[in-house]
Amino acid sequence: MAELIGSFAASHAPLIAREWATLTDETRGIVIASYRELGKRLMEAQPDILVMVTTDHWVNFFLNNLPSFCVGVGPEHDGPPEAFLKPHFPHDTLPGHEGFGRHLVDTAFHEGFDPAISYRAKLDHGVCIPLWQMALKDIPAIVPVFINELEEPMPTIRRCFDWGKLIAKAIESFPGGQRIGVFGTGGLSHSIGEPTMGQLDVPFDQRCLEMFGGADEDEITDTLEDWLPRTGNGAHEVRSWVIAHAAMGGQGFDLIHYAPLFEVYAGCGFAQWRGTT
Amino acid sequence: MTDYWLSKMFYDLQSAEMTQAWREDRAAVMQDYLLSDEMREAVLNDDIAAIAPHVNAYLLRFYCAICGMTDAEFIDSLQPLAETAVASDG
Repeated sequence: MAELIGSFAASHAPLIAREWATLTDETRGIVIASYRELGKRLMEAQPDILVMVTTDHWVNFFLNNLPSFCVGVGPEHDGPPEAFLKPHFPHDTLPGHEGFGRHLVDTAFHEGFDPAISYRAKLDHGVCIPLWQMALKDIPAIVPVFINELEEPMPTIRRCFDWGKLIAKAIESFPGGQRIGVFGTGGLSHSIGEPTMGQLDVPFDQRCLEMFGGADEDEITDTLEDWLPRTGNGAHEVRSWVIAHAAMGGQGFDLIHYAPLFEVYAGCGFAQWRGTT
Repeated sequence: MTDYWLSKMFYDLQSAEMTQAWREDRAAVMQDYLLSDEMREAVLNDDIAAIAPHVNAYLLRFYCAICGMTDAEFIDSLQPLAETAVASDG
């Protein structure tokens, strides 16, 4: 059977790419050091497949067809469509893994979930900024799991916990011996296209990081369901972190770095969950 | 309340061809979408505070960027909404 080799998370603020040349040395230094450490840990875990949990930023989906969850099941996906990212991450395509993608979907249906599927997804900055910045020597096969974190109504935090457990179950039941990692991207606090754009909610970020270190499912669920409606809209992407957390069984995590990077409009966190690796 | 056609127009403007067409003749582009008179007027007048409640915030940001607004100008344009929120809060 396959093995869950680790769970990771990182922010993906687009200004990291769009404004890369004009960011201060301090911000660039934090971004580089944090992503590189994450990339080092990821490569040490030697994943064959990486399940990347992310939101879609109006690239694959629109209001006429907006899935709450969608799994990429194709052998190949498209690289970033954003013009500001292509010079940094010039990948027209990225490898998928149709075998595990389909197994994840089959497991989901068997367990009472009903995700949409995509045989060829566009992987926007949510996936590609971490891949670019981690400077991976070889990019593993990517199985994207898109979660609607952009437009109400969004999945509940409880459902995100269920999805994390589902992904772990699918990994553990996938025949073949592959090494599979989970990577949640997005968050932490930020506000986009709202009057509070550019402001961060550092207490929210700190509370999230504290909870991922040891709080139980009920505490995380209740806290986030209460707080998310009161903070910037970008914080909804913390759902990706919840899925990464739940996949690893909530055994605590190592915070690689957190910094409220006002230059890129995001409270940026970088973390690896503890587990069996 | 979400305005589907206004959102659809902003979504479609993400393509380079549509962005170019928008910059050349926005009124012509708008003819292809079933916009209400109120939304058409708000777009033509760059009344971002009037548009904002009817479109996803991320799409709005993208739209304002292709219209040439800086982030600072965009944030300024949204401030009437903050004042409205404070007023309605009491």
